[in-house]
Amino acid sequence: MSKTNIHDLTIAEAAPLIAAKKLSPVELTATYLKRIEAFDGALNAFIKVLPEAAMASARKAEAAIMKGEYKGPLHGVPIALKDIYNTKGIATTGHSALYKDHVPAEDAVTTALLAEAGTILLGKLSTWEFAIGGTSFDLPWPPAKNPWNPAHDPAGSSSGSGAAIGASLAMGTMGTDTGGSIRGPAAWCGIAGLKPTYGYVSRRGILPLSFSLDHGGPMCWTSEDCALMMDVLAKYDPIDPGSADVTKADFAASVKKDVKGLKIGVVRHFFEKDAEIDPEIKAGIEASLATFKDLGCEIIDVTIAPLSAYADVAALISRSEAFAFHEETLKASPELYGELARQRIMMGAFIRASDYVNALRERGVLIAQIAKVFETVDILVTPTMPTPAPKLGELGNMLSRARPSFTRPFNVTGSPALSICPGFTASGLPLNMQLIGRPFQDDLVLRLGSAFEKATAFRDTRPAQWAMPSSIAAE
Amino acid sequence: MSEAISKEAFQALIDRAGLTLTPPQFDELRIAYGYLQAMRERVRKPRGYDAEPAHIFKPAER
Repeated sequence: MSKTNIHDLTIAEAAPLIAAKKLSPVELTATYLKRIEAFDGALNAFIKVLPEAAMASARKAEAAIMKGEYKGPLHGVPIALKDIYNTKGIATTGHSALYKDHVPAEDAVTTALLAEAGTILLGKLSTWEFAIGGTSFDLPWPPAKNPWNPAHDPAGSSSGSGAAIGASLAMGTMGTDTGGSIRGPAAWCGIAGLKPTYGYVSRRGILPLSFSLDHGGPMCWTSEDCALMMDVLAKYDPIDPGSADVTKADFAASVKKDVKGLKIGVVRHFFEKDAEIDPEIKAGIEASLATFKDLGCEIIDVTIAPLSAYADVAALISRSEAFAFHEETLKASPELYGELARQRIMMGAFIRASDYVNALRERGVLIAQIAKVFETVDILVTPTMPTPAPKLGELGNMLSRARPSFTRPFNVTGSPALSICPGFTASGLPLNMQLIGRPFQDDLVLRLGSAFEKATAFRDTRPAQWAMPSSIAAE
Repeated sequence: MSEAISKEAFQALIDRAGLTLTPPQFDELRIAYGYLQAMRERVRKPRGYDAEPAHIFKPAER
């Protein structure tokens, strides 16, 4: 292994060292806590850091491993959770004054699964308020910043989750995605982020935004690490009405398989007709397609419904469902919401039942259409975001955000969708690309992402400004 | 985009929803309402039986 800093290791690289007792979870956790202390003041990725609890968990993990009770690739791995994942006895704020003192009595299912797998919880991460209101400057905590250039936006709503991975402040984080909230921050923070198939990962215990569009999923430096997280996260939950009782893939094994022969459909009309994209993003996509070809994939162009069709359905459903959840508190205590969350959620008050039903019906049509396209290809490719990260504060208000999104279509269809980093702009900001698969073929999407990352050198570049030596004892 | 809703008509919708808005919030939401109107018109179209929202019930185990 050529890496010399502990914090440059991926989960896949650290796990065998931990299993072989060559890398100490205590040392690993201490390294990350030290980095958070040194750098998070400039990034605001964390709302709450849990140093004592994290070190106690690390000591427990280390003792178990030394006794030969190794649990698997996440044992001893420091992670962090978007602050809408319930954590028993630890405030889960939604980054909102309304939930400032909200201390859940139970863990979210995913929080518990990650703890059972032996992960070390470093803390709770910044988010757009209730996963919808951002980038906001009128909340009890400041917004997260972009790890490649803190003057820029990290995107949202899983803003802290993206920033923490980008700056090596955690090895894995959890985000949520209702319209692109995992993939957007993954794109602008230059990492890998998977929105799993709807129903693959339990949503129980995650603060809801839009019941039928919400997804929880992993964000890591690499697609392979997301696969290792998915091996723990993908589990049927009979109490989550959206949870699917399906046979889970073996993600760790699947992600290592060959991608030769995969048929890739490029949804070119998304970025050549339906919406404009930055030329550097487009060049990154074209160069990536050449890499896929070199890997033995077949590339064809495909046509699905236009972006605007998905946008209408997503907006009508998400705003209706968000208002249904927030209506009482929004009426009783509107002053406890930030401006952006309040305005965006309030729009749901004006959507009529017939609009919601029409959107549900159209959603069914769109799902059937994309299933037809997936009879001819294995994976779809689109950009994740139309531009690289803009300056912090430039995302604007509700109206200026009314623009096409490349991520929302796949919340509507429930498809697994992964954002990866296919290079950098001339100014050093990450480019982005989105890979979409058939329902419950999340492992195939991650396999292609991982093959791309291993065939290119983009995962070797970390943001330079967060350098801090942390030598690997095993070396 | 659809024709802008009048201030009076939009105030009636605000009152019906039971919301409290400041004048700037009122103005911004009123403009955004135009986008909502356009969306609502676009999703209002004929569809087949296969596009009905429905539930599937499992038979009880005996």
